[in-house]
Amino acid sequence: MTALRPLAGLGPIDVVPVMELTAVRAGYGTIDVLHGIDIALMPGEVFALLGPNGAGKSTTLGVACGAITPHSGSLFLCGRDVTGASADALSRAGVCLIPEGRGIFPNLSVSENLRMASFSGVPYRAVLDRAFTQFPRLGERRKQTAGTLSGGEQQMLAMARALATEPAVLLIDELSMGLAPIIVEELYEHVRGIAALGLSILIVEQFAHEILGIAHRAGIMLHGRLLHSGAPDVIASELAEAYLGSDHQHLHGG
Amino acid sequence: MSDLKTDASAGELSSPRLAQFQEEVGKLKVSGGGANPERLGAQWGIGLTILGFVIAAISYISARQDTQFEFIQRDSIAAMIGVGIAIIGIAIWVRNSITRYLRYWIIRLVYEQREQTELLIKALKEK
Repeated sequence: MTALRPLAGLGPIDVVPVMELTAVRAGYGTIDVLHGIDIALMPGEVFALLGPNGAGKSTTLGVACGAITPHSGSLFLCGRDVTGASADALSRAGVCLIPEGRGIFPNLSVSENLRMASFSGVPYRAVLDRAFTQFPRLGERRKQTAGTLSGGEQQMLAMARALATEPAVLLIDELSMGLAPIIVEELYEHVRGIAALGLSILIVEQFAHEILGIAHRAGIMLHGRLLHSGAPDVIASELAEAYLGSDHQHLHGG
Repeated sequence: MSDLKTDASAGELSSPRLAQFQEEVGKLKVSGGGANPERLGAQWGIGLTILGFVIAAISYISARQDTQFEFIQRDSIAAMIGVGIAIIGIAIWVRNSITRYLRYWIIRLVYEQREQTELLIKALKEK
């Protein structure tokens, strides 16, 4: 299917979402994890997807990057239906995932990890320049084995490798996982910088505090469904209820 | 979705990278839906095997009841076609089952290797 699909009522091409998931049902084997997800990521937008463990956030990213083919529903990129396109084809086009747990090669050095990004067609020298300009600390540790870096540095390496491929859409899974709050704050400063470059970012997080300060919009997922989506401040006020259920309101006399 | 309006600071599709992205998306080869192709292949394999054996069985019974040579010959040919379909079905089922198994196996190896490396690094750090 090649037809362009502008959003109804929004007309011109500049409001066509860079990425859109419509009525996506997906999962593993016969088990459905997502039960009809609708998400639209606009150009230059940071969309924060929040939710507790097991809500289906990572599965949503899996569908978005082409690693998981939905059982039903569609994935659109710039208005084109690309459901069923392979993960490597989407990656070459410019959809890049930073997976949960960093996804680096722990037994390779920092430079060798970055060399992996050069296989996408970007010259190795340019990859190194870009990575070390954005993350000078990686430059100081270029010969160090990646597995021996601190958690924050490993995450920086994963981000540097992703950015080196010049993605148009960046998917980030649980950036803060297993990291100290101060490191998370520093990493989110980098994300803020990346967002300022005009990249579209879909970021999944379990803890909302930092990401809501960066996001243009946010959504709350629970049990494979997108419960709410909207402005970050609205979502922030709905988070506790979504995580804890109606009992939270009773506890607070609501 | 109802809240598609973005913040004013969000960019537009007019940036060169996004235009390039749109062009590359246009060139993408999309094979189409079909989640879990191996499972689908294995199911096709089982279906063909059953169909093949049913054709062979019906032809065998029919041939036993025939008295004329032409009919026996026709049923024998049908039975052979049935057996052929069943063999193709088994081959498709075996191929897809092995692919599924090997896929899980390689994932397991990757995870095991990653765990081993992390243990090794932890041990080196503790030294």
